[in-house]
Amino acid sequence: MSAQGQAGTTTGGGAPPVSAHFVNNVLAAAASYIEDDPDLARDVLAELGQFLSYRLREDPAPVTASQELAHTATYLRLQQARFPDRITVELPPAEALPGGRMAPASIQGPIAEALGRRLRERRGACILTVRPVPPGLEAELTGAAGEDPERVPITLNAHEEVVA
Amino acid sequence: MSGLRVLAVDDEPRALADVQRLLEGSARVAQVDTAGGGREALVRLGEGSYDALFLDVRMPEIEGLELARLLRRFDDPPGVVFLTGHADAAVEAFEVQALDFLVKPVTRERLDGALSRIEAARAARGGPAPAAREHTAPEVVALDNPVGAGKRLVRLETIRYVDADGDYARIHADDGDFVLRAPLSQLEEDWGSAGFTRVHRAHLVNLNHAVELRSQPNGTAVLAMRDGTEIPVARRTVAALRRRLKA
Repeated sequence: MSAQGQAGTTTGGGAPPVSAHFVNNVLAAAASYIEDDPDLARDVLAELGQFLSYRLREDPAPVTASQELAHTATYLRLQQARFPDRITVELPPAEALPGGRMAPASIQGPIAEALGRRLRERRGACILTVRPVPPGLEAELTGAAGEDPERVPITLNAHEEVVA
Repeated sequence: MSGLRVLAVDDEPRALADVQRLLEGSARVAQVDTAGGGREALVRLGEGSYDALFLDVRMPEIEGLELARLLRRFDDPPGVVFLTGHADAAVEAFEVQALDFLVKPVTRERLDGALSRIEAARAARGGPAPAAREHTAPEVVALDNPVGAGKRLVRLETIRYVDADGDYARIHADDGDFVLRAPLSQLEEDWGSAGFTRVHRAHLVNLNHAVELRSQPNGTAVLAMRDGTEIPVARRTVAALRRRLKA
């Protein structure tokens, strides 16, 4: 299922729109956990709330790399809730990221597009590794052993202000 | 009537678990099988018969719409109820004559509505000849937007009345005016169970939006709608309409 590229609510700051398709499918996943694992259902809803708060805030001011990385991690946990045991994620530590500010969803957006496309087109496990490749990042997606990985460069939409 | 046999198909395991739990909780459903994709669904369909498929629209390998088109080649195809994360795909879904279209997560009320459609479709299949079958009106219809391109999904209950306009029907709904290339006779047949009735050669009315039938001196009448519109009623239909409104 694609997390991007669907009709959705446009956010400020040039970020890709929030996909109603993604939100509704996360809600369906949360509903499925209510009886089996109510704590997990609550966690999924709380993380969806965080995701939406970040993306739908009225002030689309640039964010730090650390904030954007946390947002990306939230997004990936929501995808893992939709597809349990299918997605393995490895993110870099915040200290390894470039120090400038960036538009919201600068990291999460390209990852969502690549991961959504892969989930839509292929079955089976997906291993996502994000690593710094100056001046930006690179997301690598792979599946079964021996499969050629797909590498997606992530250009950070850096702003001039430098984080102290 | 025995309970429904349903196959639910979705590549998202948790969404599939959710709709499975809802279906199993319905007294109207006797059997719920599941498939994690289109290919598995085809295997299941080869092993048993179902009254309906609850089918995710977007899946790897075989998409839901593609599977629905395949099903139409079956001699006695099961009904299809589409599941989706977003209503954008609804137009295509109606083009393959789906019984219903549910946005995830599905409410119990909407699920009940879909089950009613499946029961009606099953009764129609096992009932009299096709010409005498009762049509079950859809909840949502895809209409042409006269301004700009594309289709617009409109809930049937929000349509107040329809005027004939050459080969087209001009549809007046709460959300605006739309067009559809269809004769009023066809719309009356398709939507009749939702309260639509032909009151004039050129007018089809949703009686749920009518408030008063006013007789005219020449034997005709006008039907006053809640929005203030007055629809002419043909002389030959006045008596039947009056009986129906009293009932």
